Amino acid sequence: MNRSNILLVAAREFRQIAAMKSFWLTLMLLPIALALGPLVGQALDDDEETRVVVLDRSGGTAREAILARFEFEEDRYRLSALSRYVRRHGLEQADPQAPWTQHDRWYTEADVATFRAQGGIDAAIAKLDAVKPEGIASFEAPTPQYEFPEAPETLVSASEEQLDERVDALLDSEGEEEVATVVAIGRDYPADPTIRLWSNEQPGTGFITVLQDVLTGDLRQRLLTQRGLSPQEAAAIQSAAPAIAVTTPPPGGGAREALLIRSIVPLALAYILMMSLMLSGSWMLQGSVEERSNKLLESLLACIRPEELMYGKLLGALAVGLSMILVWVGCAAAVAFATHGAIADMIRPALAPLTSPGIILAMIYFFVAGYVAISILFVSIGALADSMSEAQGYLMPILLAILLPITFLIQAIMMGQTGLMVQVLTWVPLWTPFTVLARLGAGIEMWEIVGSGVLLAGFVWLELVFLGRLFRASLLAQGQKPGMKQLFERFRAVRE
Amino acid sequence: MPVLEVERLTKRFGELLAVDDLSFAVEPGEIFGFLGGNGAGKTTTLRMVLDIIRPSSGRISVFGSAPDQRNTAAIGFLPEERGLYGHMSAIDTIVYFARLKGMAAAEGRSHGLELLARFDLADRAGTKIADMSKGMAQKVQLATALVNRPQLLMLDEPFSGLDPVNQGLLEDEILRASGRGAAVIFSTHVMQHAERLCDRLLLLRKGHKRFEGTIDEARATLPARITAVAPQSIARVAGVHHAEPVGDLGAGWHEWTITLAPDTEVGEVLERCTSTGVPLRRFEEHRANLHDVFVSLVGAAEVQP
Repeated sequence: MNRSNILLVAAREFRQIAAMKSFWLTLMLLPIALALGPLVGQALDDDEETRVVVLDRSGGTAREAILARFEFEEDRYRLSALSRYVRRHGLEQADPQAPWTQHDRWYTEADVATFRAQGGIDAAIAKLDAVKPEGIASFEAPTPQYEFPEAPETLVSASEEQLDERVDALLDSEGEEEVATVVAIGRDYPADPTIRLWSNEQPGTGFITVLQDVLTGDLRQRLLTQRGLSPQEAAAIQSAAPAIAVTTPPPGGGAREALLIRSIVPLALAYILMMSLMLSGSWMLQGSVEERSNKLLESLLACIRPEELMYGKLLGALAVGLSMILVWVGCAAAVAFATHGAIADMIRPALAPLTSPGIILAMIYFFVAGYVAISILFVSIGALADSMSEAQGYLMPILLAILLPITFLIQAIMMGQTGLMVQVLTWVPLWTPFTVLARLGAGIEMWEIVGSGVLLAGFVWLELVFLGRLFRASLLAQGQKPGMKQLFERFRAVRE
Repeated sequence: MPVLEVERLTKRFGELLAVDDLSFAVEPGEIFGFLGGNGAGKTTTLRMVLDIIRPSSGRISVFGSAPDQRNTAAIGFLPEERGLYGHMSAIDTIVYFARLKGMAAAEGRSHGLELLARFDLADRAGTKIADMSKGMAQKVQLATALVNRPQLLMLDEPFSGLDPVNQGLLEDEILRASGRGAAVIFSTHVMQHAERLCDRLLLLRKGHKRFEGTIDEARATLPARITAVAPQSIARVAGVHHAEPVGDLGAGWHEWTITLAPDTEVGEVLERCTSTGVPLRRFEEHRANLHDVFVSLVGAAEVQP
């Protein structure tokens, strides 16, 4: 076998595919999606505050209580976000006594009070900026979820009959003064504990829960004081709550979270293998069908052996697949480098499987072997078909048979399942590359990797022998539609 | 040493005997015609010589080696069914085939450009094959066969589909290759080309060799026909097998169509006529042409005018 002939064929195949517009469109598709993803995400991200008007016609303190509670919830959320940031970057030395460097609790009113007393979010950010190493982005405070403007005069002065109409008008208003929700506390509250709520959209469960919680507390406070308890005693009873100690792994370290993150690279490889095979499969077919329909096979076979032609085609296809992956991985790395914040933090644990040379070798082996195993099928189909439509007829059932179980498999792996289906798919060579690649992150026994790898190598060898014979025997059999009998004869044939 | 030697070659496709016990040899510088009708086994034989398909039995020797040694650097081949990669330019196509035959890219390019210039395609070197006419593409394909200056040039029905100008160009290339010492084998069922070009030829019928030799030898397989104007005594001259009077010219003179006895030369009969005193007013020899030989050996149905 002449290696330089194989390389020449491979280079020609590669150039032919690289000259196709569809190749470049496909190549750019992922980077464009990567670039557009954050923009679309940002566009879809609802980072505007929801404006809520609380109209308290009872003359009591219910409105103040609601506002205070929502402000407390916002501060607690800021504390949690701060705590995650501190823990991710190990910045506890910024203020070891601050609540946001204590990660083992569900923040209480006392924690929030301390946080506020120490200067709130601005003071915390200043302390963190003073100690954080260069290259780590500053903490960005989350946008508050709700804003509570004063009730407009039109509502305050409205009679009971006018209220609905004026609230509707207020909710219909647009621009900076747009209001999403109106909460009205009636004149007879708490004797009549009905609270009315108007909203442009279905109000969030969290909002209703907090609102109900505040007003329930207010009602109980009143009832307890009416029963003769002092306001302090009543408040003490109301604030009796268990202290919840929380133990969580550091960000990205939770069992399920860790499983998912560690599986990112292997799963992505399995997906990319699937995608690039589907795409390059049709390009490979186009090339083979062109050679048959343009009747140039005989000229080629006068110069090179059929095996050299087949191996050249496989190598060309592999080069196309690998170059697509190189570009995609390069783009992903560029995005990670450019954002060097959250995405880089996400990628670090995702790259954990790559710290083992054995796993890297396994990834490369199963990717390449998988690519060759499936590409041989495409090359053989190309040798059988005289036209693209005929080739598609052979291709579709094979693609479905390969790819359908893989879709379910990847979902199963993401859910941490290693049941019978995953086991079966691991040991059937046609699905082995996808399954093993997908399982590498979640954890797979070494004997399974080695065993399925050896089985896959044997399968590829058998494919090269038998499909190689089919390829050879079918090359010059133009215009003949082989039946099953002829196909089996071609598997057997030495060369006719 | 012959460039190509074929001994007792047989090829079966299932029940079909495509080539039957075929033997021949081609020497350097020789133009060897491979004649036969459709399905005679010409293409199958050439494919076996190129190791594209394997014989059922028999031996092939190309430059003293088995065909699977793939001496592609010394072989040029133009298949009957022609086609090239549509998206490649003419010169890139020639360079690609040159490199598959073991040539350096630069050498392939320079000789490729030389060939394109000879074929009047110098200004089309960068044109894609898909944008060329069929005739132009065929010339590019011929250039891919010639680019490595082959010592064995095999052309399968090379004249089919070519206009008269390009047929002349191809004939020139065949003569040029032979002139530099290459053995040229071409298959055809158009007799005029074979008659003009071949040093030797081989006639195949249904895979079986019916004749191998020079053009003169081929003509000699059919008895010469003589037309003469002479008296009746010519029918008694030794060597005349049969004399058929075709016209009475009066005064004892007749026009005759004469068939000679086997192994009798025309000149011998003429000499005997003179020595025995048979008067002659006309004596014309009509030798069999290749078309007649082909029809006689292969069958009228197989011949293409």
